[in-house]
Amino acid sequence: MLIQLLTHQYPGMRLWLSQRLTAVVMAIYILLLVVLLLIVQPFGHTTWQQNYAAWIEFVSPVWFRLATLLFSMSLFMHAWLGVADVLKDYVFNKVLRGYMQLAVDIALVLYLFWLVYILWNV
Amino acid sequence: MAKQMKFSVYRYNPDVDKKPYMQDYDIALEDEDQMLLDALIRIKQHDDTLSLRKSCREGVCGSDSMNINGKNGLACITKLSELEQPVVLRPMPGLPVIRDLVVDMTQFFEHYNSVKPYLINDDPLPETERLQSPADRAKLDGMYECILCGACTTSCPSFWWNPDKFVGPAGLMQANRFIMDSRDQATEERLENLEDPYRLYRCHNIMNCVEVCPKKLNPNAAIANIKDLKIERAKENADRKPAKKIFGISVG
Repeated sequence: MLIQLLTHQYPGMRLWLSQRLTAVVMAIYILLLVVLLLIVQPFGHTTWQQNYAAWIEFVSPVWFRLATLLFSMSLFMHAWLGVADVLKDYVFNKVLRGYMQLAVDIALVLYLFWLVYILWNV
Repeated sequence: MAKQMKFSVYRYNPDVDKKPYMQDYDIALEDEDQMLLDALIRIKQHDDTLSLRKSCREGVCGSDSMNINGKNGLACITKLSELEQPVVLRPMPGLPVIRDLVVDMTQFFEHYNSVKPYLINDDPLPETERLQSPADRAKLDGMYECILCGACTTSCPSFWWNPDKFVGPAGLMQANRFIMDSRDQATEERLENLEDPYRLYRCHNIMNCVEVCPKKLNPNAAIANIKDLKIERAKENADRKPAKKIFGISVG
């Protein structure tokens, strides 16, 4: 398993590989989501109430919420790695870079809580 | 029949000039002036204070690499007929300017040296040469042709931002050239040598290197190959380790 290789033994490869692996997770989710949307079609009903009910039914299963959570965690990790790369490239003041990184970290963690709140409140 | 051509050339002599400036030349070219280097030599006949490097004048030595109309290349194999006027000539970006079009390539060669660009083989020397099958030899094609002109590395933003840490496309392609060499015995060390987050992994595949290479080589493919090999090696290392056990069940 490639996940096994994400150890401190490979500090450079770990970051690079994580970004690729999270991208794969996201790609699979997006593909499945599009296919599911086309099959189930939780839209296009005559009234908005019907559309809403169909949509709720579509997003309600626990496996769908968990898959969406997994996708979002991959997205946040992917974004974290990407932003860390950009900061490494462009911000050379280590203290400033640290604060900017911290701001990104806090935002991403808040997003995660927010997402869990949304997913389990529909 | 003389033909006029306009040039705008970066000039900087640190002993005299406070700041670099662009100098315009309107030069009458002769029929034999076919390449950009010919025109530069013609300019030098009028203004011998202009400094540039040149040697073989046929795209083999890699001395006269410079930024031509915004793109790195070799003056000696760039056709004048294909250039838009005024031809804007600058030194290669990302390296300190010594004077005019001459840059200090120390950093570039330090990175080149850091990948140990020579065969490492501890076996006793054979009487003749170390033999290689045609198939193994073919693995070096597209890499050994590099003339180290520096056009790729100095057009790479990752090198501009981290010149001291990122090895750059030219150095990494030579790393791959020796990793792929069947006669070399230091593959493991070579891959380990590129492990930190900067030396290899600052490459974000924007492919400026492929775009500018005057020898039409592909450093990006070489870099991708190193990344693949590093994963393969890490997988082998993980397989060799005894499986971790939690409560007697092997995991990973």
